Amino acid sequence: MSGIQVQGSAVSRDVGLWEWFSNPETWTSERGILPSLLDTLTLCAGVMVVAIMIAVPLGASLAHKRKGEITATGVVNIGRALPTFAVAGLLVPISLRQGWGFEPWPIFIALTLLAIPPIYLNTYTAVRQSNSGAVEAARAMGFSERDVLFRVELALGAGLILAGIRIAAVQVVATEPIRAYLGGDGLGRYVRDGLGQNNQTLLIGGAILVAGLATATGLLMGLGERLVLPEGVRRLRVSQSRTV
Amino acid sequence: MIPEILANRNPLLRWDWVVNEWDQIQEALLQHLQLTFLSVLYGLLLSAVLAAFALRYRWALSTVTATTGFLYTIPSVALFGLLVPYTGLSARTAIIALTSYTLLILVTNIVAGFRSVPASVIEAANGMGLSPRRRVLTVELPLALPYIITGLRIATVTTVGLVTVAAIIGQGGLGRLILDGLRRAFWTPMTVGASLSVLLALALDLLIFGAGAAATPWTRRVRR
Amino acid sequence: MKKSSLLAIVLAVVVAILLAATACGDDDDDSGADGGAAPEGPTITIRGQDFSEAETIAEVYAQYLQAKGYDIEILTAAGFRAEAVDGIRNGDLDLIVDYIGGSQTELRPDEDTSASPDDVISVITPAYEEIGATVLDYSPAVDGDALVVRGDADAEKISDLVGKNFAFGASAQCYERPQCFIGYTAPDVYGIEFGEEKTIEFGPLLGEALKAEEVDAVVWNTTAPQIEAEGFKVLEDDKGLHPAQNIAPIINTETLDAYGDTLSSDLNALSAAISTEDLLQWNTETDINKRESDDVAAEWLEAESLT
Repeated sequence: MSGIQVQGSAVSRDVGLWEWFSNPETWTSERGILPSLLDTLTLCAGVMVVAIMIAVPLGASLAHKRKGEITATGVVNIGRALPTFAVAGLLVPISLRQGWGFEPWPIFIALTLLAIPPIYLNTYTAVRQSNSGAVEAARAMGFSERDVLFRVELALGAGLILAGIRIAAVQVVATEPIRAYLGGDGLGRYVRDGLGQNNQTLLIGGAILVAGLATATGLLMGLGERLVLPEGVRRLRVSQSRTV
Repeated sequence: MIPEILANRNPLLRWDWVVNEWDQIQEALLQHLQLTFLSVLYGLLLSAVLAAFALRYRWALSTVTATTGFLYTIPSVALFGLLVPYTGLSARTAIIALTSYTLLILVTNIVAGFRSVPASVIEAANGMGLSPRRRVLTVELPLALPYIITGLRIATVTTVGLVTVAAIIGQGGLGRLILDGLRRAFWTPMTVGASLSVLLALALDLLIFGAGAAATPWTRRVRR
Repeated sequence: MKKSSLLAIVLAVVVAILLAATACGDDDDDSGADGGAAPEGPTITIRGQDFSEAETIAEVYAQYLQAKGYDIEILTAAGFRAEAVDGIRNGDLDLIVDYIGGSQTELRPDEDTSASPDDVISVITPAYEEIGATVLDYSPAVDGDALVVRGDADAEKISDLVGKNFAFGASAQCYERPQCFIGYTAPDVYGIEFGEEKTIEFGPLLGEALKAEEVDAVVWNTTAPQIEAEGFKVLEDDKGLHPAQNIAPIINTETLDAYGDTLSSDLNALSAAISTEDLLQWNTETDINKRESDDVAAEWLEAESLT
């Protein structure tokens, strides 16, 4: 079988995990790990940008107006319980029939729905729970409502909001592999091929890659939070996250 | 509008299928409940032990958090696939995987709960001459309970969603209906499976919330 | 006030769901044997593979044996060939029904395949014997591999695809099989170069992708009812790459011996009665008309007077 030139698709079952990982071809070939990783990261980044653009303004403005407390938890719970696979699976035939292809809309929408709840919930909580003394003081100093929201409530809640974004990002990265089951590729392709071809090397290797990426995402974003947040807000975050 | 939907052979929801296949739907719902219940139960027991270690020894906390955090990020499809060679296409496989996904949330919340107990309260309890065991059970645990309940709610809702993925190994409760629908391009079972799974999650969430509120009456006054 | 009434409603819903789920949960309708001497022997456990046709086939064999008075347990369809063979190997399953060419690629991947069912049977019979199972008579019903293109494609046989740069779609399994992707692209077999290769889950998505022109050729099966419904065409396998894919029951030898000749003759009679057209008709019922496989199986058995 090894004599046949296979176009970067199948990996023999006899190839061990280490052998697979240490082969440069595995990483750099046309459908290798690096292009797949880039593919996955591009999609996830796009999803996160859209989710943040929807969830943060919505959560902040509703919380600032003290509106929609019950819907806040309700929406979040529905979002959390919604099986992403079913949503994406329902959307695929629709997308195909509309001529939009397999990718990226079905998986993009499904992942965005997954990412919105944690960001929305944390933004809502952050703004809602911001120190009422600080808010009153700002108003007394003649801050406009806009300034109260942006310069006091959002600033003080930045830590919690960033934490929400981090949680969402980890979930999105860990869930994105289902796209391999819906006519796409990305990093999930190794898990899919491993399961389909009964190939433990691909399956375990793929699982390590996805879990590693999700873990790295969480760590890097946690590090980013430390760098971005001012000392005072960081301390605040510790006491705040305990009251959530 | 209605005749148009009826004329379609494959609408989002075909009520006659729901009626005819009610047995199958009930069975799926029951299996979904069983898998969720057992996974969260085992998860809670295991998390209690892990959290106890983490609270006791400093080094254990980071190890436990890192390990459960890593488990949490393994894609569910892959974890099921990895376990099948050892535990087969069985409920056991599903429960092992689902339990491992509850650990991060539960351990984090149990630890946060016990950490939230003010030092002054612990000193007061010690001053009253309570044994450590009694102090933990009668003073610290009740005060940590709101956090644990929150963790339990998140873990339960997440598990209900994840059970659907176990359909790929022939378990999966309502996920079975979703997968069947995907395989046949038949929307009714997908709609039924997905919406019942969301409803079940919401219902269990409120159930635990209600039970938690009943168990911690003192928190009610604090609520604004 | 508002909050507590909401809570009450939701609690009521929970209780209702729980009651619905537990009440009248399992009303087993063991119709059992209808008179005569029921065959004596161990329970026969059957599990279909996880796609419509295999599920219906498993239902047909299970319901047929049940009506003959055998003690049958049918498990929820799960997994594919590898899991079915594992089930036979470790004793979880007593009876599976598989496509013989597929069985060969699972058990003897390195041996040459053949379009003649008898050749394939002669390879898989000893392979199954090694894991304690017996291959019974194969059925005339065939569900073969098929390279499918849109009706307006300028190709009649697989070799016509050479130089066309078609976009190719198939399941992950196909990409590692000599009788599939590897054979299509190998210079010494078909030597086709595809413009693009996409991995698509086996099933109706293949048809959707073909129709939406996401791909130009897909690897499907000959009894997929969408092929006719959508006006697709199956390319002729002019170099004989695809193996024979008749269906055949494979049974745990101990179980078979415990029942003696009646079981094998009963199973052989059923296999002989199933035709390729039946498979196509079952798939049309389950996948196009969206009916459930157990109902389809029961109806067919009754129509054929087999129950």
